[in-house]
Amino acid sequence: MTTSIAGLGTQEKTTAGRAVISLRGVEKHFPIKEGAMQRVAGHVRAVDGVTFDIRPGETVGLVGESGCGKTTLGRCISGLVPPSGGKIYFRLTDADAATLDDIDATPDDRRTKEQLAQLQRIDADHRIDQLGGKAFRAYRRNCQVVFQDSFSSLNPRQLVKDTVGRPLRIWKEASGQELTERVVSLLESVGLGRQHLYRFPHQFSGGQRQRISIARALALDPEFIVLDEPTSALDVSVQAQILNLLHELQQKRGLTYMFISHDLGVVRLMSDRIAVMYLGKVAEQGTAIELFESPRHPYTEALLAANPDINAETSEMKGLRGAVPDPANPPEGCRFHTRCPVATPICGWEVDDAVAWLGTHETILAGLTGVERRSNFDATLAFGDAAAAAAVGHQVENGDIPASMKAALESFSTDGNKVTLTFNPEGPVELEDVGGGHLTACVLHTSRRHRI
Amino acid sequence: MTLSVSTTQEQATRPLVASVRDLRVHFETKAGVVHAVDGITLEIRDGETLGLVGETGCGKSVTARSFIRLVPSPPGIYAGGQIDFWSNEARQAKEGPIDLLEISDKDMLRIRGDRIAMIFQDPGKALNPALSIRSQVAEVFYQHRSEEILDALGPHVPRIVRRAAKQRTTSLERLFLRFPPFRSKAAQLRSIVDELVAQALSETQIANPRKIMDSYPHELSGGMKQRVLIAQALACNPDLLIADEPTTALDVTIQARILELIAELQARLETSVLYISHDLSLVKEICDRVAVMYAGRIVETGTTQEVFANPRHPYTRGLMAAVPSATHRRGQLAAIHGNVPELIEPPPSCHFHTRCPYAVDICRSMDPDTLSVGSSHTVACFAYESRDFGMPLPTLDW
Ligand SMILES: Nc1ncnc2c1ncn2[C@@H]1O[C@H](COP(=O)(O)OP(=O)(O)OP(=O)(O)O)[C@@H](O)[C@H]1O
Ligand SMILES: Nc1ncnc2c1ncn2[C@@H]1O[C@H](COP(=O)(O)OP(=O)(O)OP(=O)(O)O)[C@@H](O)[C@H]1O
Ligand code: SF4
Ligand code: SF4
Ligand SMILES: [Mg+2]
Ligand SMILES: [Mg+2]
Repeated sequence: MTTSIAGLGTQEKTTAGRAVISLRGVEKHFPIKEGAMQRVAGHVRAVDGVTFDIRPGETVGLVGESGCGKTTLGRCISGLVPPSGGKIYFRLTDADAATLDDIDATPDDRRTKEQLAQLQRIDADHRIDQLGGKAFRAYRRNCQVVFQDSFSSLNPRQLVKDTVGRPLRIWKEASGQELTERVVSLLESVGLGRQHLYRFPHQFSGGQRQRISIARALALDPEFIVLDEPTSALDVSVQAQILNLLHELQQKRGLTYMFISHDLGVVRLMSDRIAVMYLGKVAEQGTAIELFESPRHPYTEALLAANPDINAETSEMKGLRGAVPDPANPPEGCRFHTRCPVATPICGWEVDDAVAWLGTHETILAGLTGVERRSNFDATLAFGDAAAAAAVGHQVENGDIPASMKAALESFSTDGNKVTLTFNPEGPVELEDVGGGHLTACVLHTSRRHRI
Repeated sequence: MTLSVSTTQEQATRPLVASVRDLRVHFETKAGVVHAVDGITLEIRDGETLGLVGETGCGKSVTARSFIRLVPSPPGIYAGGQIDFWSNEARQAKEGPIDLLEISDKDMLRIRGDRIAMIFQDPGKALNPALSIRSQVAEVFYQHRSEEILDALGPHVPRIVRRAAKQRTTSLERLFLRFPPFRSKAAQLRSIVDELVAQALSETQIANPRKIMDSYPHELSGGMKQRVLIAQALACNPDLLIADEPTTALDVTIQARILELIAELQARLETSVLYISHDLSLVKEICDRVAVMYAGRIVETGTTQEVFANPRHPYTRGLMAAVPSATHRRGQLAAIHGNVPELIEPPPSCHFHTRCPYAVDICRSMDPDTLSVGSSHTVACFAYESRDFGMPLPTLDW
């Protein structure tokens, strides 16, 4: 891309050699406030270090369980909320991306003047929270969102003509008769028509309202649209209409999509590449085919195993045991280790896991009087009497403790009424390439594998 | 995974648990009378899982609620038909069925939650936000298992404690229960019920049942609330469990767990299940038989195997073709065009005619009959009714 900014109403033509959106370590932590003073008691780590690119004309799917941060990431990308960490770039050229890689690899105090100047230029031209004037306008026009809930995202008191025409009016693109004609042609492009201009949202079915949301998102002829569960509230028959429509629009207008959904069948159909999210982080990413036919991450496998498939002769529909961990206090090591059916000793076992396991034995923890936690990996549990501590000791030595949790114990001792547990500390498991751009964050497939 | 294990032959000969005949439920609205359920006929056999599928608004929940007469009225009216029900007890005593629409309110109160339990579509709304989970599950035990509880209390139970176990105490009596000589028996009663509640919750594999008992609905996630409802529904060993989209709001991994759970409990208690869903793939996995509903009517029924291998009704075919799968190409999903019609006093017709690619004049002016197209496969479509109409048989490819 040349550094010139697309003029209003015209589409950026040079798309080779750049990403539409580049995420670099994006974080969004929401403060948890408590009490009358609204003291910050911690942070919900809704998005916790996400890095990937979205290239022109492709559809990147984002899947994961409820609460894993899909919507929050979508809102960060579309500029509706500022990220609390990391950077989001719009139309970053590959050359600039390489420059950024170099600069990021250089420690802060060793950066040259030239590097700093380049950083400033790239940020001003591409980083969405620092864009100036024209560049910001180009981003705003070209990045649109369609939400899941078409009911609450359409103003109930606005006629369709005003809802769809609003972006055109705000951007002074059209007015009067011309505006009406533009709205009519937008409505026609989503399968509605002139007869719908003067109706209110409640006079439409769910599928029709979703079409209106799409028409509104198309009004400024954007390059990129975040589709946040656009069909989750719809029946399959209507979903099929909307998915076909989205594909047709993408073909005609060269659109780039980020497609958020928890429906694996839908994401598989619509996406070229897919990122699987778990607790704010990407667990695995690759082409749709790679992920569905040779998933590497046990979480991706679990999602696929739980998904009923209408074409399969018989499928198992296996569920995952265990609750989804608290995103304010995510597990150490691999975040999935608390539920992973194949977790290894190096997956990040910690004190909380031991306590949770002891908690499944109704009476054992009843005598617990205090916990002295030196770190997430190292703590001393105090019990009312020595017998209770000895019972815990007995469970750890001989009970049904998961073998890999036991193997992760560096030391374990009972002293009077106290039990001290120390696990081998493990750092977070990061994404690594397992071949041809297929990334996974699981020790079974990455560089730590030799330690298992 | 199928919820119950039995062959088709076995099922056809199994005794009936419920038989719905020509059920009609209407709603009086300003715009006119909505025929939400417009003459449906269904059978549920002992120990089987019947799936009821269809698009939003087609009348699934209204049908389900009719079994326990919980359709809000007004505006709802039971406009016709009957729902015969055979409890296990009645069947063993070789008694005939009772008509759930005819029995007295008092009898219905005894059946509801006892012989027929329902898991409602929205777990948030089905739980009382102001009461702890303990008291909401305990309530079920007090209502339906009070005899067992009294047995566990041993002999010589004072009358006032008996009344407490049946939740018939007045506020003055409840005050007496706090003091000797009743206090210790009352405490024993509470601990017995607590034990039952904890056991019911732990059967649903909820983590930390004792802690959950002390929490309130808003402190629980959707999946946890759903498990509480399942614990409640199964606490009373019902003969028929009606599950109205119990997993629609949940993630697939949790959905699969909850279905395993219903399957385990069903295998143990031999409960029959009416499973309502709009998810065809799910119904295919877990049901023995399916009924497909469209705009207040049943358009096709059969064993899951028959219906999925050889769907007959154009609507069923359309629905199946619309589910995205690995074989679809992007942009080439088969969509059913148009929308579900208004159900306000519909004239005689096939309700699907506005969206059906095979519709001919007769479809717009007469109700199709339900025909048998296999040993236990029925369809309501003129294309199968008579060659005289000269209609081509609907093909599989939409
Ligand atoms: N404004 C906010 N303040 C505090 N916490 C928030 C806020 N928005 C989201 N969260 C939390 O961030 C986490 C991620 O939420 P998000 O809505 O992004 O999840 P999601 O993946 O879109 O889930 P779903 O599939 O249910 O839509 C959740 O734990 C949520 O409770
Ligand atoms: N209280 C009511 N007043 C008026 N109409 C009602 C009422 N309850 C239901 N209806 C109508 O009855 C029809 C059937 O509703 P029902 O809730 O049974 O649908 P459903 O198949 O369960 O849909 P969903 O999949 O959305 O749960 C709908 O058209 C609805 O508008
Ligand atoms: S690193 Fe892999 S094996 Fe270990 S817990 Fe995570 S997903 Fe499971
Ligand atoms: S009866 Fe007619 S309109 Fe109805 S499904 Fe059959 S062919 Fe279509
Ligand atoms: Mg979301
Ligand atoms: Mg319903």
